[in-house]
Amino acid sequence: MSAAVHGKRRDGAFIAGALIALLLLLAVVANALGAFDPGLVLNVDARFLSPGGQHVLGTDALGRDVFAMIAAGATASLGVALSAVAIGLLGGVPLGLIAAARGGLADEGVARVNDLLFALPPLLLAVLLAATLGPGVVTAILALGLFNIPVFARITRASARTLLTRDFVNAARVAGKGRLAIGFEHLLPNLSGLLIAQATIQVALGIAAEAGLSYVGLGAQPPAPSWGRMLHDAQTLTAIAPWLAWFPGMALAGSVLGLGVLGDRLRERLDPRTRR
Amino acid sequence: MSRARGGIVLSLALILATGATAAALPPAHNDGILTIGLALEPPNLDPTATSAEATEDVVYTNLFEGLTRIEADGHVAAALAERWSVSADGLHYRFELRPGVRFHDGTPLSALDAKYSLDRARAADSANPLHALLAPVRAVEVESELVLKVDLARPVADLLTYLGWGNLVIMSPATSAGAAAHPVGTGPFRFGEWRKGDAVVLERNEDYWGPRARLARVTFRFIPDSSTSLAALSAGDVDAFPNFTAPENLAALKADPRFEVVVGSTEGKTLLAINNARAPFTDLTVRRALAQAIDRAAIIKGAMYGYGAPIGSHFATHQPGYVDLTARYPYDPEAARALLAAAGYPHGFEVTLKLPPPYYARRSGEIIASELAAIGIRVHLENIEWAQWLEQVFKNRDFDLTVISHTEPLDYDIYARPGYYFGYSRPAYQALLDTLSRSIDPRERTRLLGDVQRMLADDAVNVFLFELPKLGVWRRSVHGLWHDQPVQGVPVAAAWSDAAAPGTATALPRRRAVELLGALTLLTLGLGAAAIARHVTPRYLLARLGSLALTLLLASAAIFVLIEILPGDPAAYMMGLNATPAALARLRAEYGLDARPLAQYGAWLGGMLHGDLGLSYTYRVPVASLVAERLVVSAPLALYALLLAVLIAFPLGLAAAGASARRTATSLMGLAQVGLAIPNFWLGILLILVFAVDLAWFPAGGFPGWQAGLGPALGALTLPALALAVPQGCILARVLYGALAEAQREDYVRTARAKGLTRRQALWRHALPNALVPVLTVLGLQFSFLLAGAILVETVFSLPGLGRLIFQATVQRDLIVVRSVVLLLVAAVVIVNFLVDIAASIIDPRPRQGTP
Repeated sequence: MSAAVHGKRRDGAFIAGALIALLLLLAVVANALGAFDPGLVLNVDARFLSPGGQHVLGTDALGRDVFAMIAAGATASLGVALSAVAIGLLGGVPLGLIAAARGGLADEGVARVNDLLFALPPLLLAVLLAATLGPGVVTAILALGLFNIPVFARITRASARTLLTRDFVNAARVAGKGRLAIGFEHLLPNLSGLLIAQATIQVALGIAAEAGLSYVGLGAQPPAPSWGRMLHDAQTLTAIAPWLAWFPGMALAGSVLGLGVLGDRLRERLDPRTRR
Repeated sequence: MSRARGGIVLSLALILATGATAAALPPAHNDGILTIGLALEPPNLDPTATSAEATEDVVYTNLFEGLTRIEADGHVAAALAERWSVSADGLHYRFELRPGVRFHDGTPLSALDAKYSLDRARAADSANPLHALLAPVRAVEVESELVLKVDLARPVADLLTYLGWGNLVIMSPATSAGAAAHPVGTGPFRFGEWRKGDAVVLERNEDYWGPRARLARVTFRFIPDSSTSLAALSAGDVDAFPNFTAPENLAALKADPRFEVVVGSTEGKTLLAINNARAPFTDLTVRRALAQAIDRAAIIKGAMYGYGAPIGSHFATHQPGYVDLTARYPYDPEAARALLAAAGYPHGFEVTLKLPPPYYARRSGEIIASELAAIGIRVHLENIEWAQWLEQVFKNRDFDLTVISHTEPLDYDIYARPGYYFGYSRPAYQALLDTLSRSIDPRERTRLLGDVQRMLADDAVNVFLFELPKLGVWRRSVHGLWHDQPVQGVPVAAAWSDAAAPGTATALPRRRAVELLGALTLLTLGLGAAAIARHVTPRYLLARLGSLALTLLLASAAIFVLIEILPGDPAAYMMGLNATPAALARLRAEYGLDARPLAQYGAWLGGMLHGDLGLSYTYRVPVASLVAERLVVSAPLALYALLLAVLIAFPLGLAAAGASARRTATSLMGLAQVGLAIPNFWLGILLILVFAVDLAWFPAGGFPGWQAGLGPALGALTLPALALAVPQGCILARVLYGALAEAQREDYVRTARAKGLTRRQALWRHALPNALVPVLTVLGLQFSFLLAGAILVETVFSLPGLGRLIFQATVQRDLIVVRSVVLLLVAAVVIVNFLVDIAASIIDPRPRQGTP
């Protein structure tokens, strides 16, 4: 079965995923421009307004507009997830290339570091880091970033090893290029598609993880809105304002779903191993 | 102190002593049991060595008693001292102890015990929080078996009150050292059991000197999340919350005929505390601007849902001599902005507002930040844990602003203490307090107390916000709990419950559950070992074991280094605020923390290998036993979730792979994609909403313990396991489907089909065995997510599992618990992955070629 057929049939999901990604980016830009600031102003007298009317998604316990909070909360989610992916790429890709290109001890060492990082659940790592650095965005980025490193290292190493057997690599080797030079000049460009796909998936996972961290108070700190904290605050208010538990969760699940689908489709199209 | 005042106190004490006996005589014992919910778990049960309010809540006048005690209305009453007299100059106190009082271990109370306890509290290396208040005590002497004399260097007007506070209770020399874990007092209840992270159980003291308590057993359950406290009440897991932390739910509870809501007063003066010693707050104009920028009404409405009276100085509204100063600097943002400009800050400035964990602080903080922003002060909010608050704010005075409630009664003297964290130092105020302490005329004292309040308000030392309300909620069947809180504590001596349901539960089934779990583990390990021996080459096994050990060693080193650099001295946190350096050094030595890091690391690893995980700092019990207690929750939860995940994954994956219509497969996998995108903690909240709140099929949170029976215990784990299982199951379903689809394209399946097998037969007999390997591998890789997810889900459902243990221990800087439990979790992940590898090589139907 060819990837093209795959792609065509699932274009609906692909487009939906891309749309959600676009919406998230839009929300971040609009928030940076201050578009949601009026909705974030506290107004205790206007609290717990039901969805509809002036406040599409209602207001929270301090009278803030829930839609504005969700839109502004995208900044924390996407900011943390993207930064963590950047750390994962910067740390993991060189590690993977080195492991693939040099083999032997280097490969073994990278595998050990990978095992170690994989064994520490990111949430556990965040708890430890939060105790040292204090809770906050930096802690969340570091914890998720560290977790991303072995993810990218593994995928880079595996794909690079398949590529190392290809003719153009042999040609470069015959031309006298060093192992590392081959790795960075010839392997990396061929890996970029796959890495972009994996990065998209990791962003989706990162958004979910950031929300989890915020839920237990280790993510973005108030007053910056975040989806996880909105859900935490909503939990005692389910009898008074159930929409506070529904909407942020839907935004969260929708983003994770959209980016996840997008990543899967990208991988199906771009992975050199599945491309036939 | 004059003869007149001493005489009044003496006669008052006599009246109270006799009156208390008559009034508290219960009509009948009904042997009820009561479960009381507390937000915080005490770090230990020794009130003489800790300033934790949670300790007082459990032990005050329940387990331990002092010479005097504070009654529900705030009066000082006789307790272990039957009567007393005071010399005319106020320097000599003579206490006559009650005869016939016995400690819970049977030894009779004597004046020697009282002398021992007071001397211990005022010793140079004392860890007692009231250490400083006893400084004027010159000598404590035993006159006879039951007569104690206390000599002072100068009069202490409130000595009898201090002696009634929970930190100055009487212990015997033989048992005081173990009081942290096994308290032995004289109170109407004796210590029963402490299930760490869950509950402390008190049993009635049948030999009590006073009227026998009416409840046979009282359980204090610790429910840290406001969200679960409501569910716990509704489900009947908890009968009473003396201090409910979700004021937003009080309206609903008031309307519920099952519950009684009692809003009372506390001594809590809630402050926006200001660092007066740090610029720009050294300037009164700036502090005034702060005061006028804060709208108390908005905070009381927004954070406290209308509960709590506004205050204008450091004085509780119900205390005699209270002066209403809330209008001294009224809310006026315009004026505040003008004041800031006048002080040289027309464009405001940036500050950090550090917020400790209590709900009132966190909630007020957000509103304060927004109000200060309105006058141009940009506030950076920082949520910190108690350990950090004590260390950074209270001890090192490293803060700009903080929100905190001071719950000790009449503690206006803290503004005169040198080095106190407010950084306020004004000789005139100290002189005023001096005059007050020497003043004896009641009218004069009232006037001076007014001056005290006015000076603090005028100087805008802090922004005085509101009096912390005591939000009591209990079932209507519960009676006799305190309505107000004149002193920290939850006395239950006079409480009773109409709904008497004597408990029959014992700890036995729990032990049986542990044994069963252990036996199952051993059985699994045995079977696994047998399978491994048959199928795996020794060389492969050794190589894998070697890399496993190496990973664990690396992990232990990484964890140790990470924890070494944690800020916050755990010893200081544990010993409380007034611990002396000598006491701290002794504690560090006891825990081996004074050794060099490398030696500590070696000792830790060596201990781990022997199964000795160390001694918990905060609980003072072996970490191994803590872990065992939590493991009986976490391990079944993980297994239950795994089982449910498999039950979700296999039908879904097989149905999709077996479906003849592509569309069916696509929509089934689409469903799985949606399922894996739903974060487990949100799913948990939704499950609570639907199955606990609306349908009431399952409890919304908490864990009754295995001793409650298999049904209730599994019931409590069902929703959490489901929340964990759905995303995991969906991931597995997709992996299974992918593997099955691939296998179905392979030649051997085609061959099987060509030989006449149906699609279904080929799927089950040939494709499935091959697909199991990737499924198993992913299962292993997902295990760390399951553990991490369990931490979150345990929080959502307030389960006393390993995840919560880690959180609590991190918050309390119990680094011995943290490092051991983290390493255990890492080991679990590594070992599970090792087993998965082995298992995969066993079940892989492809022919083996020596070493894989």
